[in-house]
Amino acid sequence: MLASWYDFRDFGNAVGRLVEALRDAGASDHIIYPVTALIGCLGVLVFVGGATLINIWLERRVIGRMQSRLGPNRYGPFGLLQPVADAIKLIQKEALTPRAADAIVFTIAPVVIFVPAILAFAVFPWGKEMVLADLNVGVLYLLALGSTSAIIVFMAGYASNNKYALLGSMRVVAMLISYEVPSVLAILGVTTFAGSMSLRDIVEFQRTHWVFLLFLQPLALLIFLIGSTVELNRSPSDIAEAESEIIAGYHIEYSGMKFGMFYAVELVNSLGVSGIIAALFLGGWWTFGLEKFVPGWMLFIGKMYAVYFLFIWFRGTLPRFRIDQLMAFAWKFLLPLAIVNFFAAALEVLIWREYEISAGIVLPIFAVVNFALAGALIAGWGRVMFQQFQRFPRRARLVSGIEVPELPYPAAPHPATEPVA
Amino acid sequence: MSLKTEPLVVNIGPQHPSTHGVFRLRVTLDGERIIDAEMIVGYLHRSIEKLAEERTWTQNIPFTDRMDYLAAMTGNLAYCSAVEKLAGIEVPERAQYLRVIFAELQRIASHAMANGTFINDCGAWQTPLMHMFREREKILDLFEMTCGARLTLNYMRIGGVAFDIPDEFMPALEELMDELPDRIAEYEDLLLDNEILLMRGRDVGVLPAEMAINASISGPMLRGSGVAWDIRKADPYAVYDRFEFDIPVGHNGDSFDRFLVRMEEVRQSVRIIRQAMGQLPPGPFCATVPLNVRPPAGEVYSRIESPKGELGYYLVSDGGPTPYRYKVRPPSLINLSALKQMMIGTSISDAVVTLGSIDINVGEIDR
Amino acid sequence: MIIVTRNLLHAVLLLILSFVGIAGVFITLSADFVAVVQVLVYAGAIAVLMIFAVMLTPASGRRNEGNILQLPALVLSALLIAGVSYIVVQTDWREAARGPFQTTAADIGDALVQPFALPFEIASVLLVVALIGAIVLVRED
Repeated sequence: MLASWYDFRDFGNAVGRLVEALRDAGASDHIIYPVTALIGCLGVLVFVGGATLINIWLERRVIGRMQSRLGPNRYGPFGLLQPVADAIKLIQKEALTPRAADAIVFTIAPVVIFVPAILAFAVFPWGKEMVLADLNVGVLYLLALGSTSAIIVFMAGYASNNKYALLGSMRVVAMLISYEVPSVLAILGVTTFAGSMSLRDIVEFQRTHWVFLLFLQPLALLIFLIGSTVELNRSPSDIAEAESEIIAGYHIEYSGMKFGMFYAVELVNSLGVSGIIAALFLGGWWTFGLEKFVPGWMLFIGKMYAVYFLFIWFRGTLPRFRIDQLMAFAWKFLLPLAIVNFFAAALEVLIWREYEISAGIVLPIFAVVNFALAGALIAGWGRVMFQQFQRFPRRARLVSGIEVPELPYPAAPHPATEPVA
Repeated sequence: MSLKTEPLVVNIGPQHPSTHGVFRLRVTLDGERIIDAEMIVGYLHRSIEKLAEERTWTQNIPFTDRMDYLAAMTGNLAYCSAVEKLAGIEVPERAQYLRVIFAELQRIASHAMANGTFINDCGAWQTPLMHMFREREKILDLFEMTCGARLTLNYMRIGGVAFDIPDEFMPALEELMDELPDRIAEYEDLLLDNEILLMRGRDVGVLPAEMAINASISGPMLRGSGVAWDIRKADPYAVYDRFEFDIPVGHNGDSFDRFLVRMEEVRQSVRIIRQAMGQLPPGPFCATVPLNVRPPAGEVYSRIESPKGELGYYLVSDGGPTPYRYKVRPPSLINLSALKQMMIGTSISDAVVTLGSIDINVGEIDR
Repeated sequence: MIIVTRNLLHAVLLLILSFVGIAGVFITLSADFVAVVQVLVYAGAIAVLMIFAVMLTPASGRRNEGNILQLPALVLSALLIAGVSYIVVQTDWREAARGPFQTTAADIGDALVQPFALPFEIASVLLVVALIGAIVLVRED
């Protein structure tokens, strides 16, 4: 039973009415399908474009507050027009192409990088009927999109023909390959519970069992969150851009709007990953019955921005890893945790399905067990990892007088004159 | 199995956000590992030492501001005390105390900047720096209150200081001294247990005590290597022998130790300022010295503990109105000399952290 | 284009493009799972492997003028295009008449653990061997 077309609690209603109207008018599927798809694409694009502008402002303001300063506040109310001013400035700038650069690849890269970023928004469950493309391999599709961005970043870095850009793109490639493994394993736990890879079905699972998957898979959320900071190149894993080391990494040579594209894509990607987390772990459009009063897509966007705020928070507070530390963290810490988590999830689902226990009894128990497991594992691993820093006390040693160690005489030559082995 | 790879030569600087100015480092990389490094200085050379030979002794004071522009007070102090030593000028008590107070305030401001940029180099996106600027800002307000300038202060004079402190200075200083220990405790809570910061700083850029001494390194870097050496104790100038304070020393000599030492030094500086505030005597703030002072012919080397290390002035006078020779021992330049040794074999990320922990100031390196 | 270009990196990038194209072919064959896996594995992982191979190739930066394999490759790909075109012309394209798409992910999962469990396990043992072998090769001792 379809609601009337002006029922904007779910834009799927309006599209549904349109489909009916077209069918009544005698249009064949060849017309209806492209028309509705185009409407959906347009909706997603408008949202992504608008959200990017908002995100630029939001990110700068929030970071500003975290750094006890104001952030942009000059253009428009609360500085809301700042992103527009930024964009105009960037468009006016000259888009330089270095002479030694691979001009074709250099020009294509900032355009191509937008593709996976926007494609990710296609499968999001905005509302009950509001899914642009309900792929039954939705989760895998999102992961595949994430993996392609490594190549595009590499294109940008290699084509720039700059040493910093090359270092940055090598870092990206190595990082993304490593972090895909724990991220995928973490998501596997979620799909095991939901029994489907379609984002819509995962939300449906959370709705029927009246639970956010966050409570069933806390460890998976944590691993995925860390993995996605890497995939997004955001602090604490922004080593591919690493302003203080390799300046801007792969997009060091880009200027003007080409640089603007990379900047915007970073924000679109952040929002995309926030959307994935909101759908997989935070129930998508469903929020414990609240969706009856507030449109589902608003709830979904709200959750998306809540997760996005978390990313901004990370960026405002955490220092950066070194590349080898980041790799070690992925392989030695996250990967074992992800495997244990997946194993636990599979075992629980097996128990649940095999003995046909009602979900109301078994899910709270699983939630408690999984939270305990996550806590124990993180505390245990954390203690092991932190051990190496306990060699020295936290504070400097205080000495009341001069204290100089005895040195052999004659003294060794000045180190700057010594040849280095 | 070993592959023959081509080394990659990368210029870090002179235009690079982590070189604290226009310092240039040419590193040869094998992958991300540094196999050779070459330091190239001189992009900010302004020929101050030669220029100073054309100016009168008093006219040279503003130049000292522009060497270590983040610690102008200690630059002033080092030069003025050298000239006073050469000319045999007695400085009034009150001026001595004011000098100590301002030098220690400058130390706090400089260390706030050093620690903030160190964490910035570790990758925290500006936040710690911005928060540490908050304290620095208050100190600069105090400077402005007293001498009208914030960065290039030109406050000290041969024989004393330029102005006495205004009435509102003491309450403001009192307030700041009450606030600072809390702030330091807050930073320590936030930063000292941060695993990422520990991972980035511990065992990175290790400088053994022996090498530090052989390279005549001084200041927080030397203390970070575990050598308790402080000119304020070893060779007290001004009235430092009247105060009680401790020398913080590090455990391992790595970048994080240098950070810890600077943190603790801020606390010790607060301690010194508190004692100086209590003992501040009334009296003249400057000795009567002719504007065109002419020290007798001779030479002098005078040193102080600047925030970055041993800042020394070697002055030669031929009895004329200008210095015959004006030579600075800049701690930043000499502390840099071990950088190559500390960097070889580490990665490019570590090199940036090591450089950040040395706390260089290019204005002082190049002069 | 892959075989015509003289630039090794361009060749790899174009090859990745054709991988994505193959994924598109899989989608038209209503094999969505295979299509996504094609992108994930080939365009994601294998492509990175090839890029690393290119980076380690000494001639990657040069023009590769004296490549004698270009003509045979052109002939081969022309034959391939001819073959594919023949199949395209011959195929019955009335897909819609056969009803909606079947979802394939669940069937593939069942197939892997029931009839094809042994090959699947052998493949995973092979991967473990490769993994350990790689670690042994690059260990520094």
